[in-house]
Amino acid sequence: MLLSPLSCRDQIIAYKSTQSVSREKDPLMEVLMLGWEFPPLISGGLGVATYGMVKALRASANIRLIVPRSHPSSSLENVRIVGVDRALKEELIREGRAYDLGDLVDDLQRIPLELSSYHSIRALLEETEHPSVMHESHTVKSLTQLGSYFEGHEAYGPDIQRKVYLFSRLADLLSRNLDFKIIHAHDWVTYPAGMRIQARTGKPLVLHVHALETDRAGSEVRNGVYELEHRALRAADSIIAVSEYTRDQLKRHYGIPPHRVHVVHNGIDPRPTQRRTHPFRDKLVVFLGRVTRQKGPEFLLETAQKVVRVYPRVKFVVAGTGDAFIPLLETAAYRKLGRKFLFTGFLDRRRVDELLSMADVYFMPSVSEPFGLTALEAAQFGVPGVLSRQSGAHEVLPALTADFWDTDKYANYIYALLQYNALHDDLARRSREMASRVTWDAAAAKIAQIYRSLILN
Amino acid sequence: MTSVCFYFQVHQPWRLKSYSCFQIGYDHDYFDDAANRTVLNRVADKCYLPANRLMLELIRRHEGRFRIAYSITGTALEQMERFRPDVIASFQELAETGCVEFLAETYYHSLSFLYSREEFMRQVRAHTEKIEALFDQTPVVFRNTELIYNNELAAFLDTMGYKGVLCEGLDYALAGRSPNFVYHPPHSSTFAVLPKNYKLSDDIAFRFSDKGWQQWPLTAPKFAHWIHQIAGNGEIVNLFMDYETFGEHQWPETGIFDFLRCLPTEILHHPDFDFLTPSEVIARYPTRGEYDVHAFSSWADLERDLSAWIGNSLQHDAIERIYSLERHIKSSDSPELLETWARLLTSDHFYYMCTKYWQDGDVHKYFSHYDTPYEGYINYMNVVTDLEYLLERQMQREAQAQLQTQ
Repeated sequence: MLLSPLSCRDQIIAYKSTQSVSREKDPLMEVLMLGWEFPPLISGGLGVATYGMVKALRASANIRLIVPRSHPSSSLENVRIVGVDRALKEELIREGRAYDLGDLVDDLQRIPLELSSYHSIRALLEETEHPSVMHESHTVKSLTQLGSYFEGHEAYGPDIQRKVYLFSRLADLLSRNLDFKIIHAHDWVTYPAGMRIQARTGKPLVLHVHALETDRAGSEVRNGVYELEHRALRAADSIIAVSEYTRDQLKRHYGIPPHRVHVVHNGIDPRPTQRRTHPFRDKLVVFLGRVTRQKGPEFLLETAQKVVRVYPRVKFVVAGTGDAFIPLLETAAYRKLGRKFLFTGFLDRRRVDELLSMADVYFMPSVSEPFGLTALEAAQFGVPGVLSRQSGAHEVLPALTADFWDTDKYANYIYALLQYNALHDDLARRSREMASRVTWDAAAAKIAQIYRSLILN
Repeated sequence: MTSVCFYFQVHQPWRLKSYSCFQIGYDHDYFDDAANRTVLNRVADKCYLPANRLMLELIRRHEGRFRIAYSITGTALEQMERFRPDVIASFQELAETGCVEFLAETYYHSLSFLYSREEFMRQVRAHTEKIEALFDQTPVVFRNTELIYNNELAAFLDTMGYKGVLCEGLDYALAGRSPNFVYHPPHSSTFAVLPKNYKLSDDIAFRFSDKGWQQWPLTAPKFAHWIHQIAGNGEIVNLFMDYETFGEHQWPETGIFDFLRCLPTEILHHPDFDFLTPSEVIARYPTRGEYDVHAFSSWADLERDLSAWIGNSLQHDAIERIYSLERHIKSSDSPELLETWARLLTSDHFYYMCTKYWQDGDVHKYFSHYDTPYEGYINYMNVVTDLEYLLERQMQREAQAQLQTQ
C-alpha cells in the first residue's frame, strides 16, 4: 500500500491532539475565592475588580467564588458563583442534613465574645439588640433567615461586622462541599472566612489587599478592623497588594516585610471610547467616586479655589456622594464657589461614561488610594489625570502627581492642563495608550504564578 | 604624521526656579540663582579647577606639544564671572600658554540655527565678543550646540568666514570611511569638517569607569596603543567630549585624572604622533573627501539626531512659542527682556522635556533637575506666559510714549 503524506486535515487533527495533551499536563488549578461583591450587585471597586480578575483567571484556574449575595444574573462561564443568601435557601434546605449545623448555631449566640480583640464588634453588639441573630432557635429555618440577612441593598452598612462574622461561618460551611487547593480572600471582610477555612483545611491562604483600614480611616487608626487585618496578614501564606503604594503601607502601618508582598496592579477591560463636546463654555475638571474623607474633598475644594483665581473659565464636577458630601456642598457655597461646582450625585455607568467623554481633567486628591480604578477609566477616555501621589494609579499611568495635601501643586497642574494644549494632548494620548496595556490578563498571569508556587510548596 | 585633536565642551544653563501659575503676572524673576550657584560651585571644584590645573601642568611639561581646544558657552562664562571668577582666571592662564584654542558657538547654547538665522548670528557675534574680551582670541572654527550639524550649517558658516566646523562622526555620512581625516561639505572643497571619532571619544567619556566593559580598566598605555594603531590609516583623531567628563561624570576615584596625566606622554612616545588644535589641524591637513549630511544630526543619544530637544509635541510647542516672540522682543526697546528671552532659548530647557526614555529613567534624568519632563514643560511655559505678559506691557508703554511725543 502506498503511504501518502499526512493530509492538511490530518495535520490539524494531529496538532489539536497535542494541544489537548499539553492542556492535560497543565490542569486548571482549583481555587476557592472569597469575595464580597459581584456584578450586578456592586457598590464599589471591589466588585469590579473581582469580576475582572475571575474572568481572566479562568484560563489557568478553576474558580469557585463565594460571595454574601448573588443575583440570578451573576454568572460567568466555567465559574461557580455561590451567593450565601441563595445557597442557604436552596442548598441548605435541600441538603440540610449534610451539614453539621450544631456548633454554628451555638457560636452564633456567642458572637460578641467570639472575636474578643474585635472591640468594635462588641461595642456594636452591646448597643443594638439583634435577637434574630443572637437568640435564634436551632433550626434550619433560622439559617435561611441568616441567609436573608445578606439580602439588603447595602453590602456594607452599619452592621457590617456582624455580616463579616456570619459570612466567615457560612462560607466555611459551604466550602466543605467544594474541592480546592488554594484559598484566595479579598479584603478584610472576607479575611475571617479565609482564616477559618485555612485553619480547618490547612490549604494555603492568599490575601488580596485592595484597601486597608489605614486607607479608609486614616493612618493612625488602630481599631478592630485594623487588628483583624493585622492578624490575617500574619496568618496568610501569600499577600497580594494592588500597588507598590499599598505594599509600602503594609510595611509602614502593619510591619509586613515587602518581600512577603506581591504587587499585582488591577486591570481594566479595554473598550471603545469617544470624546464628545459639552454644552458648557467652561472646561471641566472631574472628581469621581465616593465623597468621603479618604477621597480628600477638602483638598478638592482648596484646589478649586486656587485654580479659579488663575483660570476662571472652569467648572469642577463632583460625581458621587458620601458622608462628606453635604459638608463639601456647604463649604463650597460658603466660599462663594457654588457657581464653579456641579454636583451630580451618584451616576450610573452610562452617565459616568458620558461625563468622562466630556471631561478635560480628571482630579483625584485622595488622602490614601490603594489603586484608583477611576483614574484608569478616565485615561481610557483620554482624560489626563492630576493624581494624589498617595495612590496606586500613577504607578501605571503617566499622570501629574502631588502629595495629597499639596493644593498649590495640584492647582498648578490643573492650570497647565487647561492652559497648555500640547501638554493636555500629550498626556491624553499617553494615558489612553497606557490604560490599554493595564489588562486583567496581565494581572491574572501574575496571580496564577503565585498560585503555582504555593501549590508546588 | 597623525594628530590628536582634543576639544572639551564647557556649558552651564541658567536654570529656572520653580515657577507656578500663581506667580504669573507678579513674579518676573525666573532664574534660580541659588541652584545655578550651587551647581557651578560643585562643577568648578570637582572639574573645572582641577582639570584646568592638570591641563596647565601637561602643557608646561610637554613644552607646547600638548595642545587642546575648548568651547565655553556665554552663559557658562557669565556664571563663572558672577559666581566663580577664579575659574575664569584659570582659563585665562591656559589661554596665555598659546597652546589652547577657543571655538565659536552660540552664546546661549541654543538651537537658533534651526529657528532664526538672525538670532543665530546675533548669538555667535555675542559669543565671539565675549571670547575676545576674556581670552584675547578670535575663534575661527565653529562648533554648534550639541554638535548639531548638516550641509546647510556648513555652507552658512562658510559665508560667515569660518574655516571649519566640528561635528559628530556619523556612520551613514562616513559610509565606511574613517573618521580620522578632514572632510569637506558638498558646497566647498576647502571648508573643513572635523568628524568626532565617537568610538575613542566615548571610551573616555562614557565607558571609562564601566566595570562591565570588556576593556575596563582603561589605562593610558592601552588607549595610546589604540591611537597608535591609526598610524598610516588616518591623519587626525578627534576626541570631542564634555569637559565634565573629568571629575564630574567620571569621579576622581575612577582614576580619570591619572589617566589624563599619563596620556600625552604615552601618545607622544610614538614619533609620528602629536597634538593639534582644530585650526592647526585645518591648516596642516587637506580635506580628503565629501561629507554629505542633509537632515540635522547631533552627538546625542543613540539616534544622533534632534529628538532629545525637539522630539515630542511638548518640546515643539515650547520652542515654537518662545521663538514666536522674537520679532516683538527685538522691536521692543528693552535689553532686559531680550536677555531674559535669549536665556530661555538655551537648549537645556527643551532637553528637560524629553520623554524619550523617561519611563526607563536614564541619562536624561541625570541631567535634569525636574522630577518629570512634564514638570519641565509646565515650569517653562508658566515662565513664558509671564514673559509674554511683560512684553505686552512693555509694548503698551512704548506705544503710549510714542503717542505722547507726537
